[in-house]
Amino acid sequence: MTASLTTSGTPAPFLEVDDLKVHFPTSDGIVKATDGLSFTLARGKTLGIVGESGSGKSVSSSAILGLHRGTSAKVSGEIRLDGVDLLTLSNEDMRLHRGKDIAMIFQDPLSAMHPYYSVGAQIAEAYRVHNKVGRKAARSRVVDMLELVGIPQPDRRYDAYPHQFSGGMRQRAMIAMALINDPTLVIADEPTTALDVTVQAQILDLLGNLQKEFNTGVIIITHDLGVVAEMADDVLVMYGGRAVEYGPCNEVLTHPEMPYTWGLLSSVPNLTADTNARMVPIPGNPPSLLNPPTGCAFHPRCGFRDEVPGQLCTTVLPDLEASARPGHLKRCHLANPDRIYEIKVLPEIAPELAKEA
Amino acid sequence: MWAYAARRCVIGVVLLLTLTLVTFMLFFAAPVNQARLACGKICNEQQIAVTEKALGYDKPFYAQWGSFVRGVVEGRKYPLDPELRAAAPEIVTDCTAPCLGYSQFNAKTVNELLTEAAPVTISLAVLAVVIWLFFGVLLGIMSAITKGSIIDRGIVGLTLIAFAFPTFFIAVFFLKYVVVKWGLLAYPAYTPIAEGGVGAWFGNLFLPSFTLALVFLASYVRITRAFVLESLSEDYIRTARAKGLKGRTVLFKHGLRAALTPLVTMTGLDFAGLLGGAIITERVFAYPGLGSLTVDASNAWDLPTIIGVVLVAGAFVILMNIIVDIAYAFIDPRVRLG
Amino acid sequence: MGMNLKKAVAAGAAAALGMTLAACGGGDSDGPGGKSEATASKGGTLYYLQAFPFEAADPQRIYYGVQLANWRRVLYRGLVAFPMSEDPEVANTPVADLATDTGTASEGGKVWKFTLKDGVKWEDGSDVTCEDVQYGTSRVFANDVIIGGPNYTLSYIDVEDYPGPYKATAEQQAAFEDAVSCEGKTVTFRFNKPWADFPQAAAGMMMVDPYKEASDEGDKGKWNVLSNGPYKVEGGVWDKDKGATLVRNDQYDVKTDKPEELRLALPDVIEWQINNSDTAGELFNDRLIKNSGNDQYAITNARVSPPQFPKITGEVEKRYLNVLSPYNSYLVPNAKRITDVKVKKALAVSLNLNGYVKALGGERTAAPAETIVNPGVSGSQDNPAFAEDNNNDGDPAAAKALLAEAGVKTPYPIKLSYPKTPTADKAMAIIKEGWDAAGFKVTLDGLQDTYYDVAATPNKDSDVLWAGWGADWPSMSTVLPPLFDSRPNFSDATCGNDYGCYQSDAFEALVDESANASTVEDQVAKLQDADKVLGEEFAYMPLEITKFNWLFGSKVTGFTTTAASSAYPELGLIGVETK
Repeated sequence: MTASLTTSGTPAPFLEVDDLKVHFPTSDGIVKATDGLSFTLARGKTLGIVGESGSGKSVSSSAILGLHRGTSAKVSGEIRLDGVDLLTLSNEDMRLHRGKDIAMIFQDPLSAMHPYYSVGAQIAEAYRVHNKVGRKAARSRVVDMLELVGIPQPDRRYDAYPHQFSGGMRQRAMIAMALINDPTLVIADEPTTALDVTVQAQILDLLGNLQKEFNTGVIIITHDLGVVAEMADDVLVMYGGRAVEYGPCNEVLTHPEMPYTWGLLSSVPNLTADTNARMVPIPGNPPSLLNPPTGCAFHPRCGFRDEVPGQLCTTVLPDLEASARPGHLKRCHLANPDRIYEIKVLPEIAPELAKEA
Repeated sequence: MWAYAARRCVIGVVLLLTLTLVTFMLFFAAPVNQARLACGKICNEQQIAVTEKALGYDKPFYAQWGSFVRGVVEGRKYPLDPELRAAAPEIVTDCTAPCLGYSQFNAKTVNELLTEAAPVTISLAVLAVVIWLFFGVLLGIMSAITKGSIIDRGIVGLTLIAFAFPTFFIAVFFLKYVVVKWGLLAYPAYTPIAEGGVGAWFGNLFLPSFTLALVFLASYVRITRAFVLESLSEDYIRTARAKGLKGRTVLFKHGLRAALTPLVTMTGLDFAGLLGGAIITERVFAYPGLGSLTVDASNAWDLPTIIGVVLVAGAFVILMNIIVDIAYAFIDPRVRLG
Repeated sequence: MGMNLKKAVAAGAAAALGMTLAACGGGDSDGPGGKSEATASKGGTLYYLQAFPFEAADPQRIYYGVQLANWRRVLYRGLVAFPMSEDPEVANTPVADLATDTGTASEGGKVWKFTLKDGVKWEDGSDVTCEDVQYGTSRVFANDVIIGGPNYTLSYIDVEDYPGPYKATAEQQAAFEDAVSCEGKTVTFRFNKPWADFPQAAAGMMMVDPYKEASDEGDKGKWNVLSNGPYKVEGGVWDKDKGATLVRNDQYDVKTDKPEELRLALPDVIEWQINNSDTAGELFNDRLIKNSGNDQYAITNARVSPPQFPKITGEVEKRYLNVLSPYNSYLVPNAKRITDVKVKKALAVSLNLNGYVKALGGERTAAPAETIVNPGVSGSQDNPAFAEDNNNDGDPAAAKALLAEAGVKTPYPIKLSYPKTPTADKAMAIIKEGWDAAGFKVTLDGLQDTYYDVAATPNKDSDVLWAGWGADWPSMSTVLPPLFDSRPNFSDATCGNDYGCYQSDAFEALVDESANASTVEDQVAKLQDADKVLGEEFAYMPLEITKFNWLFGSKVTGFTTTAASSAYPELGLIGVETK
């Protein structure tokens, strides 16, 4: 799999992840949290990584930041940022990239910020670590940034502590912290999960606007397809540490070809949809990463195994391969996924769409 | 905050009064005739009655408690019998307010006894706290950041050994072997700074303080290790690393700040506990601190001294609680005193 | 900590109970070990290591036997004193000290006169006067100030309602000064009954020691020492928890003294170091075994503990002494529960004393006793009642026969009460074994801290109780009457020291006769008879005589114990080698 498989990228990709593996040796065996992940991202574009908890989303993004260094995790493959393989960098060089070129926005800003330091000081710290400036200069930079992310009275709020902020404000501050050094790549790990629905929309708007303004590449990690639909250019669906479907956002969301993606779609509540539409949860539990199922990792939970001849699903791991549509990759043995989706899945989850089809 | 402190102090005083009242009650509930003990081996009933009166034990306990409290406010004169005082002024002991009583057993006012004993205990406790905090936190951090390594296992193993042996055993071991058998250190005997200077004070204090510190040290290593490990797994540590901060900054500025906060509370309370007297250590090393005073007073049913020690120990605990609470408000911005 | 505090309290209580028993008897050195042979010479520093605090430094309040004996040699001379002889007969006979002779008795022992020597002085240079003796004697009456200390004089001195010198009215004081009067240097004691062994009491206790009124501060002065002996306390105040340094008293005139008999006062300095720790005694002896540095010049009044015995070999054994102490232990049957004398005798006959002594720690710790009267006490002799016990091994068969004779139902239940310690548990189990074999069914009842309070109650359900005793001075009058005369002991709430609540008219008649005897010889004979009565009625069963084990540094000279030193180190003879 190479970068040529990228689909929506008119600009040249500046982040290329190739066969990324993150393995944790434990006393019970090796936990393969991420097992051969590849994708690319162009400047100014957004990649949405979707999956359940434990599918390897966050582990992969931590690997990009090099946060597994100094732990027992074994990281292999390549992560090239502007042509530099981050995995080959020394710890110190990697540290200099961290927060400067690659920044991260965390899920729960209350726990992600240190309770004992003021919000402003924490953002200023991020700035001063990569810029040789005085306290005053840093402060004015932080205040500007706070203003930019829409925090009222930023000069006063600078000295407030995280617990004195509302959830939305905290996430804005987190974004300010992430963007303070004009990073080229921002990884947002479930940036809106902990927030109210109305605040979620504001934060996503803010993120989108800032991305446009700074021409930042964004990886947005989520389990919410709604967020992906709103933000992402490309979508990568992960299951059991591997990509199971990857392609342009429109493509994947309108013509999903993998039963797991169907499951994800069917579990999205949709206020505008038909009241006859059913939310269909995916049965079963996420797979063990220690002893993954044989064959296709999704097979124990898959409702469409009958459609595949023989014992293929339980014995052979399908490759991530091109589907009929350009730029769309999937990891599934089903020969005719579109037909099954239309006949069996759509009528259940979106009766109206099914009729139109 | 000052209002808060003042309020806590008032509650503390009420608490201390209650404490003395309870001690009086317990003392008089004991199935022992204190006057008989004080009187000696061959005392007839009449002599016991005289002794009882001389010590003031003939009155009901609440009346005695009342005089005690009045003495704290107004001061008292001993012997209690005004006739006797008038007839023989040369034997009168004037105990000025706040008078905590007069110990016939020690032939001194409780105030004097406490003033003599408190510096010993405070010296012991302060040095012990310094030792256990320094080594406990240092080893705890080392253990945490090398989790799973030989260093970590070694440190944890040593703390288990320190835990397994009671203070009494360690103290006797030090005296029997380190001092007497191997002659590595001189036999410790408390020397005030005023008498022998800081060197002698410290030299004599080291062994008892180290003994006292050892068991605390062991538990502080383990607690520090647990807190640091917990802190290092916090989200904000990941944030700090994601910012590109140096490992040392992450550990010391972000990790330890949060990890060591609970230690402030623990240290404060443990220290307060010790100020009431490190009984075992003081006994074994024969240090004339509050702990030794307590044991001697208990053996002799010396109520005034017992009350005095209880009061001082209680006051230390209450005071340290207030200090810890206030300190916490400074350390953790989430805490607001109200 | 609560647990340990309790233990500490228990240990302290036991120590106090053991040591309040001031004693001046005992002291035959019959065990292995050697006295230090080095020649006596003046000078040097002696280190005296002590593992418990004294109760007071005030002569009228001192009651510890070892303190009375030692301080008599160094700080407080008495009217009379016991001489430093290893022959108990000699040591138990007082000789003149501050007084010119050992006192003249008249009116059948009711009036005693002593005349003070010329040139005896306090450390401040003032003379020791008759008025000082009078004042010292009067202080004992101030129960509300001079609390504690021996007070035998209260029941003898012929004065009524005297409250002590502090608050006495002029009349009361005058009445006292009639009873204890001064004419020049001669003090006269007038008693309300004969007191034949008064010189012994005056030598062994400090109830009638002189005290200088001008320096009296009452209770405040509890630790002040105003010496009239060869040494004085540096600074004048004894530190209860640390001890003191004793230096030569330049006002002491050796010509007024009999150094060979009463005090050699060899060292120039005595460093008296107190370490009031539960482990100090053991550590002192560890140090003496090691014998390095100043410890070569050290003695201790802390006994060697049985676990340390194996270390006493070779060179150390030359610095070791094993002696009989003035302390006896015994059992009393509860007279309220066991009335049949045959049952009591059966208990006595089947007592396995040899096993008991072995369980206590063997022959270095104790020796089986044949009477409650310690061999150091004048007139002590084996009580024939306790001879039928198969050489102290116990004779269960004979006991069985006695029980059958008594016609009691067997097994006969016995509840045996004693203060609980691990050693006591072991030793009592041996007694139980012997008694069980004889047809008793023994329940062991080990009691904690308040043992003596329980033992004194009249309605306890114990059948047999353990007790210990040491004579206050080497006279049977401080053994038998205090323990078995119901009259001073019984009241509604207590049987006092008569733990078995024993009462016998025959015994009390003999006690009265002894009390009225005008000579010591008479007194002794009556009390020997009284002991026979106790034996015939099995009012008690003797257990053992405790033994003391002493170590001393290699450069200590003249180390020994005497009856006069209560089997503690005889401080008056001890010196150190000088370079």
